[in-house]
Amino acid sequence: MRFPTLYLTVSVFLAIFALVPPPARQQNSSSEKKRNIQRVTFNRDIAPIVYHHCSPCHRPGEAAPFPLLSYQDTAKFADQIAYITEKRIMPPWLPAPGELKLAGELRLTDDQISLFREWAKQGAPEGDRSDLPPAPHFTPGWQLGEPDAILHTKKPYTLAEQGVDNYWNFIFRTNFAETRWVRAIEIRPGEKRVVHHANVLVDRLHSSRQQEKDSGDGFPGMELSIESNSFDPDGYFFFWKPGSLPHEEPEGMAFRLDPGDDLVLNTHLQPSGKRETIDPTIGIYFTDKPATQFPFLLELQNDMALDIPPGVADFEVNDELTLPTEVQLLAIYPHAHYLGKKLLATATYPDGTSKTLILISRWDLNWQAVYYYEDEVVLPAGTRLSMRYVYDNSVGNPANPFHPPQRVKGGNRTTDEMAHLWLQVLPHGSTTPPSEARLKLQEAITRHDVARDPSGFSSQYNLAAVLQDMGNFQEALSHYQAAIRLRPSDAVANNGLGAILLAMGNPGEAATPLLRAIQAKPEYAAAHYNLGNAYASVGKFDSAAEEFAVAVRLKPEDSMAEANLGAALAEIGNLEEAKRHLNRALQLNPQNNVAIDDLEEVKRRQASQQ
Amino acid sequence: MPAKERRKRRAWKFLFLLLCLILADSLPAPPQSARKSVLDLNGRSVDPFRMAEAKTVVFLFIRTDCPIANRYAPTIQELSSRYHKDATFFLIYPIASETPQQIRDHLQEYGYHLTALRDPDLVLARESKVHVTPEAAVFSTEKKLIYHGRIDDWYVEFGRSRRLPTTHDLAATIEAAVSGKPVPTPSAPAVGCFIPGLT
Repeated sequence: MRFPTLYLTVSVFLAIFALVPPPARQQNSSSEKKRNIQRVTFNRDIAPIVYHHCSPCHRPGEAAPFPLLSYQDTAKFADQIAYITEKRIMPPWLPAPGELKLAGELRLTDDQISLFREWAKQGAPEGDRSDLPPAPHFTPGWQLGEPDAILHTKKPYTLAEQGVDNYWNFIFRTNFAETRWVRAIEIRPGEKRVVHHANVLVDRLHSSRQQEKDSGDGFPGMELSIESNSFDPDGYFFFWKPGSLPHEEPEGMAFRLDPGDDLVLNTHLQPSGKRETIDPTIGIYFTDKPATQFPFLLELQNDMALDIPPGVADFEVNDELTLPTEVQLLAIYPHAHYLGKKLLATATYPDGTSKTLILISRWDLNWQAVYYYEDEVVLPAGTRLSMRYVYDNSVGNPANPFHPPQRVKGGNRTTDEMAHLWLQVLPHGSTTPPSEARLKLQEAITRHDVARDPSGFSSQYNLAAVLQDMGNFQEALSHYQAAIRLRPSDAVANNGLGAILLAMGNPGEAATPLLRAIQAKPEYAAAHYNLGNAYASVGKFDSAAEEFAVAVRLKPEDSMAEANLGAALAEIGNLEEAKRHLNRALQLNPQNNVAIDDLEEVKRRQASQQ
Repeated sequence: MPAKERRKRRAWKFLFLLLCLILADSLPAPPQSARKSVLDLNGRSVDPFRMAEAKTVVFLFIRTDCPIANRYAPTIQELSSRYHKDATFFLIYPIASETPQQIRDHLQEYGYHLTALRDPDLVLARESKVHVTPEAAVFSTEKKLIYHGRIDDWYVEFGRSRRLPTTHDLAATIEAAVSGKPVPTPSAPAVGCFIPGLT
């Protein structure tokens, strides 16, 4: 009898901030022309800029506090508009103009800004009616049409009328009968005037539910750590910021949603002066076309280096990663908290030339966003990605959460700091198949993490898991051992070590870490299954059957556990019971070859006995 | 100071104020708009200084659609409760196009329990030397402008606020005024929505 397939549950602790894009907007070029500025009118000069850059947010139901849809609306604020555009406070757009064009750029040209000032100076004249362009048309309600599914929270959140910024997480439970492919997720964050940004993370293991006091309550927290059972986490951003349209994934890049997956909505809220009820909804748009391309989130980060003394206005943090394979860069998401000052990401190509991927000279957490590249950006293998973030922990930084300034370190709380850069990439390569490219990327990232932080449990564990996936068992073994030295009773790491010892043909040694895993987590189905395999491999079929039986009890839908239970029972001569479990395995998965072969073997034996 | 004496001085101040008003009435009338344009929500022309009953007068200039002003609503309400014995607070709406009904709705929405006045001709705004909402002006019992500017330093720029304010300019002014001490500073720049017609 064979006891094939190792069963490994890999758990990766990743903080992923899934965000989506600023809206795609057309570039306005009419005001680019040099004008002979004598008389500036709303109808001819100002309306085209306002309609394009301001009205998408400045209209009823949207995030901005007042409408800018008409002459009257705009003239009332003429001086203020001149002021805030000159200071580039509005429209909110953090990235400096660069070589790589970003989708939905909201930056005004210097000429456009001069027009606002001149118009205000002239007393905000309306001008000739015939010059007025058609009013902008906005789609009411769901921006991509009626969603295929609409998810509601179990309980809205009440935001107090005053206080500091608030970060609240809502868990949306999904309950689709089968795996669906999602082409877009539209976030309607509730009262848009108080929601600064919102992003959805997928929680396939319901790990966030543990943070709710009562089921459906939601929970506080600025940053989320979502546990994942796959080493290959989803590579998508689902992001909402004021004025943004939902991002539709290109064909072939749909996102997989399995039955029961939770969607966690992380929101940044600012008290408005009155009590507000935040009741977000999520619209999901399906597609029939399963994914054929799988984006990947590459993360550069250096939170460990964040230990910023009080008073220091230019504290620099760096990180670098060399790409092991060619990728297409789709989107970028730079992230820091309140001390962030200047955020820069660059790519240095193998030929030594370099490009700025993003530069934010004046970081403002309130306007953080995911940026998509307008054109295709290919980064060849050997490209060095680097981030350079500068922090200001002086009194001169008004956003400083401490007054007077205090020592600030890396961490998840709002008063901690962060140095993260996520790049959404699509692994390329005509010569290498995509899955190998992904493994190479994962290996590069995890090796990088271990090099930076050899004493980090997650870094060691993640590297071990990816090396195991790549078949590099010997090296994987040493990193599992390193992870276990850091957390001796960690169930998942001990299970991983047991699984790799089994894979390396060392079942005798595998039992020890597997028993430790079970001791730490008695209801750990995968560890029982692996221990069953370890016992069976050394001929202890009684013990093996016991372990497989526990695995079956804990995971009744597991066809392989049923098949191995049947096989072990057959070995100890309990052919009737064996047959029952093998049949059950085939019910669960008619293609289970182990069960098919073993059932035939059992039947042969029964026939020969008769 | 013994309580009796203080009451006496107040009474004297009040008499003095009345005398001033009588004198003012007998002087050539200033332009109508300058005197009659401060309105209550029923459209009646009012004089907030007369309504203030000889207390320190605090004007808070706000508007219904300014997010910065709205975020200050709980602070404004708190300050007015804290100092109500010594100072009379008024909410002043200087945007001419805001109707009494819009203002009533706004008061209710943000839980204000203060007297709201309209200043469509910007009489009080000019007298108070304010330019934005929210912005405060404090007048002594002698109707002298002793402070105009920010409530505190929470906001440093549009869209840029501190986690918490580090100065409390308006509170410090009121405390100085009611205890007869010199005010710490006569003005501090406020951040907020521009009041049109003042620049």
